[in-house]
Amino acid sequence: MSNTIPEGAGNPADLLCFACDVPLEMGKVEATYLGQKFPVDLPRCPKCGFVYVSEDLALGKMLRVEQALEDK
Amino acid sequence: MTQSPARLTLARTRSVCPVCLEQIEAERFLRGDTVYLGKTCPTHGRFEVPVWRGAAAYLAWGRQQAPRSAPTGRLTAVDKGCPHDCGLCPDHRQQSCCVLIEVTSRCDIACPVCFASAGRQGTDADFATIEGWLDTLNTAGGRVHIQLSGGEPTVRDDLADIIRLTRSKGFDFVQLNSNGIRLARDPAYVAALAAAGLDCVFLQFDGVTDAVYQRTRGARLMALKEKAIDACAAVGIGVVLVPTLVPGVNTQEIGAIVDFAVARLPAVRAVHFQPVSYFGRCLKAPEDADRVTLPEVMSALARHCPGVSLADFRPGSAENAYCSFSGRFSVDRDNRFHALGGPVSCCGVAPEPDAVRPSPAVDRERRSVAGQWKRPASPCGDGLDAFDAFLASRERTLGLSGMAFQDAWTLDIDRLRQCHIHIMAPDNRVIPFCAYNLTSMDGKALYRR
Repeated sequence: MSNTIPEGAGNPADLLCFACDVPLEMGKVEATYLGQKFPVDLPRCPKCGFVYVSEDLALGKMLRVEQALEDK
Repeated sequence: MTQSPARLTLARTRSVCPVCLEQIEAERFLRGDTVYLGKTCPTHGRFEVPVWRGAAAYLAWGRQQAPRSAPTGRLTAVDKGCPHDCGLCPDHRQQSCCVLIEVTSRCDIACPVCFASAGRQGTDADFATIEGWLDTLNTAGGRVHIQLSGGEPTVRDDLADIIRLTRSKGFDFVQLNSNGIRLARDPAYVAALAAAGLDCVFLQFDGVTDAVYQRTRGARLMALKEKAIDACAAVGIGVVLVPTLVPGVNTQEIGAIVDFAVARLPAVRAVHFQPVSYFGRCLKAPEDADRVTLPEVMSALARHCPGVSLADFRPGSAENAYCSFSGRFSVDRDNRFHALGGPVSCCGVAPEPDAVRPSPAVDRERRSVAGQWKRPASPCGDGLDAFDAFLASRERTLGLSGMAFQDAWTLDIDRLRQCHIHIMAPDNRVIPFCAYNLTSMDGKALYRR
């Protein structure tokens, strides 16, 4: 899916779910890692529930959270 | 030493004679409230040494033994028996977690206490040799943490290149053992280390007064330690304070060291206490009073730190339970400690660097979001604030840990065989830290050359 999505797309509606071919919508998601839960808003497919995590977020804030939880 | 007939044998093990380093039978036994390691060499006589002061804690602590795993990769054969066949041999019970690479035997100070017996004269490992070590570790299959050590690694002008090399080989966590002198004096050098991908500095930090440093290191170093921390903070390198605890020299500063660390959050991530071991330059036969054991350190921390109790500490997750302790704490604005749950680093430390560092492909692959983050079916919440709040709380998180290295008197083969902190020997053997640094009473080394 990530191959079809322009990097840095600001509007979830600009993102299409590769599997369902429908625009993503901002939705509430609970991300969990090593037992810690984080309720966050992320673009998700209204049909199949697939969640899009941008590269910036994955390699930025989420990576820092992972490292903190891993004691690294 | 006064002898009491009231003693209880806890377990049989093996050790070495401190004089000849021959493997001999040993026992852990309780006398009074202290656990001793006792052993008799047929040639050199009886040796007894305290290894754990606090009987109740000893028994409870041992119930938390870490799982064992066989080492992977290159092995040496079992021949003379532990600790004489390290490489690792098939009898070893734990894989490498953190591997020290000694990039130089030179040092810019001459400490009375030095496990590596480093001095001003020495040699640097050449680049090809270091690359060979890293390739060997990769071949062995371990995604280990690399700790650049020595000597004092910062005497090398090409240390940033070594860090880049290490990262390029796929090792995604690089630590530096340092006395901090050059870090304090050369901020551009520190910036270059950060840009190369250094995650964390293990800063030799024996106390908060020059009086301590004069005794442990032969120099007034406190101001330099502070500058070194500032330099690391400026470029986002996490700092772990590493005090070598010597009874009567700096054990009275345990609390002050923690206070210093709290005042330097978030630059300082953790304090990692190391009770002194008697190898390297420490040649005199130690008395019982020359020993400080892990439960004594934990008790000192519990007495000093508001909110900390002994129950907040755990053994390391991979090594023998009696080798280390660690705990992670959130420190509030009133400097009260709150224990944090969750995993404890297998290295016994919680550096938690926020370092801005390169993101090599292996890092990206390992941390692929789809694989590591799960999405439950019932979402709730509000934006990304949860991430921000969590990261903000971590700004006030401090790790408190300790590790008891073993010398020729305290060496317990059961512990050694579970060791997961290893040193890369010049001939590409991977050797447990305490075996590599082991010296006999007259200073003869088992492995170090």
